[in-house]
Amino acid sequence: MHNSATDSCYLCPYCSARLDTFEALKAHVVTEHSTESPPLAEGVIRLTINGQAHQLHVEPEWTLYYLIHDRLGLTGTKMFCDRGACGSCTVILDGRPILSCITLAIECNGKTIETIEGIAADHHPLIDAYVKHHALQCGYCTPGFVVTAKALLDRDADPTEDETKEALAGNLCRCGTYPQHAKAVLEAAQVLRERR
Amino acid sequence: MNMKTLQELETYQKLQEEGQYHIGAEPLNIAFKEIGKRGQRRLDGYEKATGKALYTRDLQMPGMLSARVLRSPYAHAKIKRMDTRSAEMLPGVRAIIRYDDPEVQGRELNGSYFAQGWLRPKLAGWALKPVHLVLADEGWYEGQPMGAVIAADNEAIAQQALRLIRIEWEELPFVLDQEDALKPDAPVLRPGAASNEIHYPRKHFEFGDVEKGFQEADQVIEFKARRRAHLWAGAEMPSVLVRWLDDRLEMWVHEQQPYHAKQLIAEWLNIPMGRVTVNTVYQGCSFGGRGNPANNSENGMNILATLLSKKTGRPVKLLYDRRDTFFGESGDITVSYFKVGFKKDGIITAVQIKNLFAVYVTATGMDHFVENTRIANLACEAIPVDVSIGPAWWARCEHLTSCLCLTLVFDHVAAELGMDPIEVALRNDGCHGHDTSYLEQYKHEHGFPDRDSLKECIELGKQAIGWDEKWHLPGTCKLPNGKLHGIAFTWDHNWDDTRGTGSAAVMIENDGSVTIIGHHVDIGPNPWTPLCQIVADEIGVPFESVNIKPWTLDSGFALMSPDGSANLVANGNIVRKAAQKVRKMLLELAAEKFLVDSPEALDIKDGMIFVKADPANSKPVREVVAKAMPMHCSGAFWTQPPVLAWTWHNQGIWGQANETGRPRLCRQAHFMEVEVDPETGQVEVTRVVNVNDVGKAISPESVEGQMYGGTVMGASRGIIEEMIWDPRTGVLLNGNLLDYKYATILDCGPIETPFIETGLGHGPYGACGIGEATPTIIPALLGPAVYNAIGKWVDDFPITPDKVLQALGKI
Repeated sequence: MHNSATDSCYLCPYCSARLDTFEALKAHVVTEHSTESPPLAEGVIRLTINGQAHQLHVEPEWTLYYLIHDRLGLTGTKMFCDRGACGSCTVILDGRPILSCITLAIECNGKTIETIEGIAADHHPLIDAYVKHHALQCGYCTPGFVVTAKALLDRDADPTEDETKEALAGNLCRCGTYPQHAKAVLEAAQVLRERR
Repeated sequence: MNMKTLQELETYQKLQEEGQYHIGAEPLNIAFKEIGKRGQRRLDGYEKATGKALYTRDLQMPGMLSARVLRSPYAHAKIKRMDTRSAEMLPGVRAIIRYDDPEVQGRELNGSYFAQGWLRPKLAGWALKPVHLVLADEGWYEGQPMGAVIAADNEAIAQQALRLIRIEWEELPFVLDQEDALKPDAPVLRPGAASNEIHYPRKHFEFGDVEKGFQEADQVIEFKARRRAHLWAGAEMPSVLVRWLDDRLEMWVHEQQPYHAKQLIAEWLNIPMGRVTVNTVYQGCSFGGRGNPANNSENGMNILATLLSKKTGRPVKLLYDRRDTFFGESGDITVSYFKVGFKKDGIITAVQIKNLFAVYVTATGMDHFVENTRIANLACEAIPVDVSIGPAWWARCEHLTSCLCLTLVFDHVAAELGMDPIEVALRNDGCHGHDTSYLEQYKHEHGFPDRDSLKECIELGKQAIGWDEKWHLPGTCKLPNGKLHGIAFTWDHNWDDTRGTGSAAVMIENDGSVTIIGHHVDIGPNPWTPLCQIVADEIGVPFESVNIKPWTLDSGFALMSPDGSANLVANGNIVRKAAQKVRKMLLELAAEKFLVDSPEALDIKDGMIFVKADPANSKPVREVVAKAMPMHCSGAFWTQPPVLAWTWHNQGIWGQANETGRPRLCRQAHFMEVEVDPETGQVEVTRVVNVNDVGKAISPESVEGQMYGGTVMGASRGIIEEMIWDPRTGVLLNGNLLDYKYATILDCGPIETPFIETGLGHGPYGACGIGEATPTIIPALLGPAVYNAIGKWVDDFPITPDKVLQALGKI
């Protein structure tokens, strides 16, 4: 994660101490104030999305996609197939790429989520590489590919071409941009390695 | 200034002449700096890669309601009674319109808008279904919008409300297969019709004398082929957002030709077109599927959304779900019967084809023989047959059938003679019954470069794939991995599809930057970057200073919006002309400032205007236009007219098959290698080489992108994609993207895309279209590739493992 610490802040309800993560807040209230973590109202969840804290009321049937796209206006997460077949709604949940269209929002309480908007705000080299290699045409599925590729590079700094294709095999692109993706992802991996 | 002087300045006749495309290569009078350059930044790149690009699906508006329409769950059924009371009582439901409500009862759809005119629903050939009402009580295919439409606080409530509608249905007989539909005992689907054969627009084509051609032949073969149903299933599920403002209408549409949306909705609502504002944002790919053949049904959706907005006083967004996108097919569902006569040396003397199309026909299937060959005797009967499935439309592109027929005929002949298919192709190469000298003469007369680029394409492709080393007799190459190797070739030269009409303005902003004004829809092929490259080079400014404003029809100018066939080849000419006009204006204005006698004494380079004889005497464009304000504000400083020029352009229409006297000049050769597993029947595309003469690659990466994308789609169509209906119920069994598979990143081997640029096209700087070639040709190429691998023809597409095993006698 490349969260900027100033964006992410959890306020302790007892002493107004500032904590970086929800987990840290829970630990703080338990150790400092000898109590359980603050209870949430029914249907309320806490999420960290792109480093920013959210406390949200959700209906039990809402998908994570609906919450992110329709309620929070993070429209880079796309609905393409409507049932977990295409990867366009991929977000990174606690470090793993998941399909937000078949994930219930209410089950994500306390989780950390990264969307394409967060990846773009961090100027991840995948963005430049995707544009440079024309790894996009109509662009509708593109954010899903970038998010999936980001999750790959988070866990493997130097993937092979075959590993890259394997990682992206759950993402559909009807324009057929496939031959350009591995080029873009491998170039971004190279840039990241050079930065380190 | 009196009126007479005004008329002298610009007459309508002058504009008419200005806009016409005259066949022939234009002399090149600029140096390419931005045009053809690799690494040019895509205009849409960052928006799309960062997820900031907005699509119709993403749009929301304060107070917006979501709408869903009821669709027929049966292949053919009638509503006997419908009870919507439970749906009305569901909290969150804001409006229901029923088929028997006065807003829609008995009211017809407008039809489709195409080419020379308006096709009323009864003649809207592509639909070929008796669907005439906006909201009918009888459904002619599963998925037909009918019965009711509901607006609710969100999509889930609208969907739930649809399920609460109680309907007593009367199921009616149906038939799914076009051959079954022609049998005497088949149920006749269309009321009052004598059979399921549709007499409009049945197409016959005859050229020469096929009987004579068969007599001249040394050998005559007959065979049959099938292409099963598939569809484009574009990335973004369609939607429309409308806002009724009592005497005005605002729309955000997901359509390839939004001007038609405006024409059609204004006519239906009986309001002036000037009161309709149509906007577009980015659009998920649709390959023609959201183009003019679909106007009839798209406009039906626009009407229903507008009626709901009128009724509720709120913005309404009507949404399709993924299954909704499956109620329509690519228009090449065919059963084809072939009879081919040829001589021992590979010269084909006659081709006769009968194509039975399910629910659709535009091209006969013979068109590419006319455009592409010297074969003197051709006859084709194309018969559309009504069956109980959704309307079929073209999708990248209507010539799928033509490509399939051409490839199968040539490769069957080569196989019969044991000849290299490349030899057979070259012996029959030509145009409209003439040999290649006809094309040579035409090129010579019209100033096109006189190069036989088919041979060049073939040579390049042969080397890239290693044809001479790898080509073998059918069924004779078993690989060490136990699979059978196949290699195939086909050719074409159809994609000189320049046509269309459009307009645009080019404006010099007050800081010297340049804006192209003209509505346009992006469905993926990077359409705007090349337009900016053209304008930059034509004026003499850097690419970075040029931009385009394509978002609203209210700008008053509209580029030819893509229907999948032509785009840059027409629009490039539009902006090129407008840029030339604006450059002339700019130099006239500059002549005053530089105190030179004539604008001819000046030139523009890299955004600097300078005196040719003394280049050090220069000024940036910004200084020259300092007093020329495109959009005036108060104050007396801006004393000069805006430096803005608009133009229109009519590219005409393509091809000898349309009797335009305009042969297609661009050339292409395609090569494929496959591996077939004889145990499982699985076909794997291991390598594809596409060689195109693209005339001029204005954006080389975009050329390659179109060839990659088309190949992936083509391979997918050829071996995977098939819609399957339950024969007992007529209901589609795989109407989603889990069960209807299409290619992933792992489903096609390496694709090579060498291209040559001979300037042979009718587009700007000799450019030819590229987007349709590979997806249309590659599926057909799977036929000869699998034949070369297994030594048996599987003339039934897609070539799925069961068919391969059947051909091998294993099941």
